[in-house]
Amino acid sequence: MSRFFRTQNDSSSSSESSDEELLSSGEEAPAQPAQPKQPMSRFLKTAGDSDASSSSSSSDSDDSDDDDQPAPVAKPAVNRFLRKNAGLGGGSDSDDSDDAPKIVKSAKDKRIEEMQTIGKAIDNAVKIGDWNAASTEFEKLGRLVQRQTGVSEPVPPYWLRAIVSLETAMSATKEKDSKKKLNAAATKALNGLKQKVKKASKEHEELIKEYNKKKAEEKYIAALAPPPPPPKEPAPARSRVAEAAAPGEGPDFTTVGKGGKGVQHTQDTVLKDLAQVNENRGKKNTDRVEQVRTLERLLAVAEKTYLRIRVLLALISARFDYNPAATHMPIDAWMSAQEELDQLVRLLLKEPAYSVDEQVDVEYDDIIERNPKDHGDADGIVRIRGSVISFVDRLDEEFTRSLQNTDPHGTEYIERLRHEKILYKSICLAELYFERTSKEDPRARVIMRRLEHIYYKPDVLVEALEQVNADADSIPALSLRASGNPQSLVHSICILLYKTTNPVLRTRAMLCHIYNHALHNEFYTARDMLLMSHLQESVHSADIMTQILYNRTIVQLGLCAFRCGLIKECQAILQEIFATQRVKELLAQGLHQQRYTTLTPEQEKAERNRQMPFHMHINTELAEAVFLVASMLIEIPLLASLDTEEAKRKTVSKSFRRLLEHANRQVFNGPPENTRDHIMQASKALQDGEWQKARDLIQSIAIWNLMPEAKSVKEMLAKRIQEEGLRTYLFSNAPHYSTLSLELLSRIFSLSLRTVTSIVSKMIWNEELAASLDQASGVVVFHRTETTKLQQLALALSERVAQLVEQNEKTLDNKLGNSAAWADRGDGKGGEKRGGEVAGGGERRGTRTGTRGALRGGARGRGARFAQGLGGQVAGARAVRA
Amino acid sequence: MAEYDITEKLIPFIDKHLAFPVLTHLLETALFPEEDVRAAQYELAKTTNMVDFTVQLFQQLYPDEEIPQEFADKRDQALQKAEQLETDAQVVLEVIEREEVAQALRQDKIQNLHYLKENYNLTLDHIQALYTFGQFQYATGNYSNAAEYLYHFRILSTDADLNLSAHWGKLACDILFGQWDTALEELNSLRETIDSRLGSAAANAPAGPNASSEAALAQLQARTWLIHWSLFVYFNHAQGRSLLLDTFLSPAYLNTIQTSCPWVLRYLAVAAIVTRKSANATSGRARHALREIVRVIQMEEYQYTDPITQFLKELYLEFDFDAAQKSLAIAEKVVENDFFLWDLKQEFLDNSRYLISEAYCRIHQRIDIDDLSSRLNLSQEEGEKWIVNLIRDMRMGADAKIDLEKNIIHINRPPAPLYQAVIEKTRGLAFRTQALGAAMNRKAAGETMETGEEGKNKGKGRRTGAQQPSQPAAPSIVATEA
Repeated sequence: MSRFFRTQNDSSSSSESSDEELLSSGEEAPAQPAQPKQPMSRFLKTAGDSDASSSSSSSDSDDSDDDDQPAPVAKPAVNRFLRKNAGLGGGSDSDDSDDAPKIVKSAKDKRIEEMQTIGKAIDNAVKIGDWNAASTEFEKLGRLVQRQTGVSEPVPPYWLRAIVSLETAMSATKEKDSKKKLNAAATKALNGLKQKVKKASKEHEELIKEYNKKKAEEKYIAALAPPPPPPKEPAPARSRVAEAAAPGEGPDFTTVGKGGKGVQHTQDTVLKDLAQVNENRGKKNTDRVEQVRTLERLLAVAEKTYLRIRVLLALISARFDYNPAATHMPIDAWMSAQEELDQLVRLLLKEPAYSVDEQVDVEYDDIIERNPKDHGDADGIVRIRGSVISFVDRLDEEFTRSLQNTDPHGTEYIERLRHEKILYKSICLAELYFERTSKEDPRARVIMRRLEHIYYKPDVLVEALEQVNADADSIPALSLRASGNPQSLVHSICILLYKTTNPVLRTRAMLCHIYNHALHNEFYTARDMLLMSHLQESVHSADIMTQILYNRTIVQLGLCAFRCGLIKECQAILQEIFATQRVKELLAQGLHQQRYTTLTPEQEKAERNRQMPFHMHINTELAEAVFLVASMLIEIPLLASLDTEEAKRKTVSKSFRRLLEHANRQVFNGPPENTRDHIMQASKALQDGEWQKARDLIQSIAIWNLMPEAKSVKEMLAKRIQEEGLRTYLFSNAPHYSTLSLELLSRIFSLSLRTVTSIVSKMIWNEELAASLDQASGVVVFHRTETTKLQQLALALSERVAQLVEQNEKTLDNKLGNSAAWADRGDGKGGEKRGGEVAGGGERRGTRTGTRGALRGGARGRGARFAQGLGGQVAGARAVRA
Repeated sequence: MAEYDITEKLIPFIDKHLAFPVLTHLLETALFPEEDVRAAQYELAKTTNMVDFTVQLFQQLYPDEEIPQEFADKRDQALQKAEQLETDAQVVLEVIEREEVAQALRQDKIQNLHYLKENYNLTLDHIQALYTFGQFQYATGNYSNAAEYLYHFRILSTDADLNLSAHWGKLACDILFGQWDTALEELNSLRETIDSRLGSAAANAPAGPNASSEAALAQLQARTWLIHWSLFVYFNHAQGRSLLLDTFLSPAYLNTIQTSCPWVLRYLAVAAIVTRKSANATSGRARHALREIVRVIQMEEYQYTDPITQFLKELYLEFDFDAAQKSLAIAEKVVENDFFLWDLKQEFLDNSRYLISEAYCRIHQRIDIDDLSSRLNLSQEEGEKWIVNLIRDMRMGADAKIDLEKNIIHINRPPAPLYQAVIEKTRGLAFRTQALGAAMNRKAAGETMETGEEGKNKGKGRRTGAQQPSQPAAPSIVATEA
C-alpha cells in the first residue's frame, strides 16, 4: 500500500485512522520528517481531519436542532460553540414541549430566561470573535425585546447590557486591528452588527445612559426584574391533555386531568375557558390546532347569544392564525372560517340587541356574561369588542393569497376559484349586516370588496355570482335583482362609494367604474370619467395597489378604444404602458425581471403579494397585438409621408419602430409564427401597397379570437387597412405621378369612389398632399414642388426655432405652475389675438378660475390631452416599482 | 322636424318667465300639437303670480269650463301682498330718491349702510324689502319695475347670495323687457361674478375635498344657466353672435357645454357660420373658431348630433359634399323652426353655401358649374350668379376662371412659395418670446412682493407689482386701479 493511499485513508475517517495509527505507528514516525517532501498529502490530511471533526459535530447537532446557522468559519472551536448555542436557543421547542406540563412558568419569566441565554451566547461569541454568530444572536434578542415592548413591559436590562457590551467589544476589536484576521464573511457580519447596535442604542439612548450610571448591574437588574411569579394552575395544559385523550366526545364529556380534577365545558365555564384560550393565543408554544379544537368544542356548548358571539369571534381569529411559514391559509381552515363568519353575521342580524364594534367605550369584564337587559348601553345594546369587517377583509385577502400561490393552469386553481361564490355570499351578508346597523365606514369597505369581485367580469359571470343573492331571503339593497343588469349594479355600487369620506375608496371605485365602462365598450363615458376625475395627475402619489388598478384601467380603456375602432385613441392610450417595456410588471401579472437591479427579499415578497390572481389577468399578448396593430395603422402612412431622413426619426411609437427596423434587417423572412411576426410582415406589405396581404396576415392572427367581438373587430381592421393602404400608396407614389385616376384608386383598394374621394379630399384639405381634384375628368392632379437644399434647411430651422419657443413656454409653465394661461397662448397662433399686456392679464385670471373649477367642468381640451397621450402617466406607471 | 327640437332640453335651464316666449314660438311653428303646448304654458303659468294670464290660458285651453274660484282667491292674495310689500319698499325708495341721499352715497357699501342707518333709520331689513318686492313684481310679470327695484337693492345690499339672486333677476327682467344693451352689461358682470365666485367660496370653506367639489358643481350649474340665458341676449343683440363665440369658446364655457349641455353646440355652430363674413375682416379668427367647433362636435358626437352639427362634420371631417348638402337641407328647416335662430335663416344659408364652395374650390381644380350649383341646392342660373359673386368676393380673380363654353370653373392655385411657409412659422415667435420674458419678470417681482401677503390677494399683488419693471408707464395704471 503506497503512502499516498494510506494518507487518503487516514483522512477519510477519524476512527479508522486511529486504528491505522496504531497499526502503522512505526511507519508513521519515520514518515514525519519526509513530510515536507509531500506537502500535498499533508494538506490532504489536515483538511480531512477538520472535515471529520466537523462532520461529527454536525451529526451531533443534527438531532438536537436543525439550526440554519451558516458555519463558514474554519475553526472547529467555533463550530462546537455554535452547537452549544443552538442547543440553548433553538432547542426551546423540544424542551418546552417536554417540560410544559411539569413546570409552568409565566410568559415573562420565560422571556427573561431566553434573553439571558441569548445574552450569554453573545458574550461567548464576542469573546472568540465570531461576529457572525453574535450578529444573529443579537438580532434574536432584538426581536424578543420588541415583542416584549409590545406587551408594554419595561425594556429589559439584558437588552441594554447587550448593547453596551457589544459596543465596547467592537470598539476594542477596532483598536486591536483584528480585522486583518477576519475573513470576508466575518467582516461583513461585524459591520452589520455595528449598524444594528448603533440603531438600537439610539432607540434606547436615555435608558442606556441611565444604565451606564448605575454601574451596579445586578442591582439594576434586580430592580427591574419582577418578583418570581407564583406557580400557576396548569389549567390550559391539563385541559389540552384531557381533550387530546378524548376528542369529539360531545359537550358533556368528563375527563380526569393530571391533577385529578375533572375538566368540563359547560355554559358557565365557557367564558373562563375562553379567557384562558385567549391568554395563550399568540404565545410561542401554543398549539394552534389544539386551540381551534377547544374553541370548536366551546362553540358547541355555548347556547346563549352572548357566549356564541364571543366564542365565534375568538374562533374565527384563531382560524386565521396559521403557520407563518406557509404561503397561504389551508383551504379547509379557510372554509370553516368562512362558515363561522357567516354564522356570526347571521347571528348578529338575528339579534340586533348585540353588536360587535371595534371601539367599545365601556370597559367590561371578560368573565362576566352580559345580556341586553342588565348590561346593555343606554339604547339597550350590548357592545362586544371585535371587528366583523376585518374578518371579511382577512377572508378575502386569504382567498386572493391562496390563488396567488396556486398553479393557475391546474384543476386546483379552478376548484379554489369556485369558492369565490361562497366568499361573495359572505361579503354580501356582511354588507347586509352593516346596512342594517347603518355602520357607514365598514359598509363602504365591504362594498368595495364586493365591487372588486365583479368590476372586471363580463356580464355572465357577474350574473352567476349574483345568484347567491337570488335565492337568499334577505339581500342587501344593492343587488342584481334591484338594478336589472350587471352594469347598473356596478354603477349603483360606485355611486354609493363616491359618497364615502374615504378618498382611497373613492378613487378605487372610480377606477373600477371606468374599467367596467371600458369593458362594456362605452369608450366615451369611460374616457370622460377618467379625464374629469383628474386621476392621471394624482395617481403618482397613490398607493401601489391603486396604481396597479389604474394601469389595468388604462389598458382596458385602450382595448375598448380598439374594439370601438378608435385606432388613434387606442394607440395613444396604450403607448403609455407599452413604451415602458414592463407591461407585466405594471399590471402586476408577472414579476419584474431583474436586469440591472436586484430586489431585496422583502421587496420581492411584497411584489409577489401584489400579483393579480390569474383569473383577473388582462391578456398582455392580446394587448400587445392591439397596440402594435394600432401603431402600424398610424405609423405606416406617417412613415410614407415623411421624405427626409431626419423627419423619419421623429417617431410616434418607438417600440413599434424598433420592431419594424429589426424586421427590415432580417435577410430571410420565414412564414410568420407569432403575433409580432404577423404584424411586422403585414406592416411591410402595407408599405408596399399590398393591402390584401396585410389584411390576411392581420386577420390570421389567432389571438383576436380572445376578443369578445372578434368578427366585427376583424372587419373594422380590414376597412382600416384599406384606408391606410390608400393613404400610404398616395404618399409614397405621389412623386411618380402627375395625375391619378380616382377610379383606379377605388379599384385597387376596393373602396367606393365616394370614400376614396373623401379620403383624398381630407388629405388635400389638411395639406398633407400637394394635389387637387379634377372633377371633370375624375383624377387627382399632383402639384410637385421641388425644394432646394437651402429651402429645406430654412424650413427646418424655422421649425426648430418654433420648437424652441414652445419648449421655453412649457418650461416656464412648469415653473409658474399655471398651465392654463400659457396653453391658451399656444392656441391663439396668430399674434393678433392678444391685444396688450393688460388684456393678457385679464385673460389669465379668467382661466385660472377655470382650473379651479376643474373637477367637473374642467376637462379642458379633452381631445388635445388624448392626442398627447394622457399626459405624464409614464411617470405614474413607473412609480409602481418604487 | 320635431325630433330636432331642443326646447325640451333648454327649458330646464331657463327661468319660468323666459320659457313663455319659447313656448309661444313653439305654438307658431306648429311642430307639436297645439293643445300640448298650451297645456304646458298653462302649467307653467299656474306657478307664477300672473293670475290674469293664467286665466286667459285656462280659457283658451278649456273654453267650456268654468273658471275655478282659486284664481280669484289667488288674485286677491297677490294684490294684498303687493300692497303690503310696496309700502315696505316705498320707505326705502323715498329715502333713496332724495337728492342729498343720492349725493351722499359712495362706493363703499358698508359706509352707505351706516349713513342710511344714522340719518334715516334704514336697516338691512328695510333694504331686504326692496328685494322681496322686486321678486314679487317679477313674479307678476311687471318686469320693468322689478328691474328697478332689484337694481336699487343691489347697490345697497351686502348680502352676496341675495345680490347674486338679484343679479339673475335683473338679467331676466332686461331680457324680457327687450333691453338688449343693458342685458348684455348685466350678463357680462354676472359672468364675472360667477367666474370669480368659486375662488372665494373655496377660500371660505377649506373643509375637505367634498366642499370644493360642491363649489365646483355649483359653478358648473351657474355657468350652464348663464349659457342658456345668454342665448336670449346674444341672438338678439346686434353684436351678439361674435360675443357668443368669444364667451362660449373660452375654455371654461366650452367645457361646461361639453359636460352639461352639448345641445348648445347647435347655437355655437350657427353663430360661427353666421359670423364668418363679418369676422373675415379680423382674419383667421372665424376659421379658428370653426375649426375649434368642428373639433368639439366630433368629440361630442357620441352624445349630441343634429343636422347643423352634422353638416359641419360632413363638410370638414368627412369631406362628403353630398352628405353635407343633404344635411344642409334639413338644417335649413331646423334653423327656421328654432326659437333663437329663425331670424338668421337666410344668413345661415348664405354662409353655409359659402363654406361649401370654399372647401370645394380649395380641393378641386376643375369644377362643373352645374354640379356645384346642385351641391348648393341652387338652380343652375342662380348657381352661376352665386359663383360669380363668390369669385368676386373671395378675391380669387387671379386664381379662378369661369369657362362658359365647357361650363366649368378653373381654379389655378399655385403652390405657396416656401418662403411664405417660413414666414408663417416664425411669425409671432418674437412676440411670444417677449411675453415669456414679461411673465418671468412679473414672477420675479411678484415673489418679492408676495412673501408677506395673504394668499388671497396673490393674483392682484402679482399683477400690480409686476408691471413696474416691464413697463415704464406702470405707475399710471396702478394709480387708476387705486
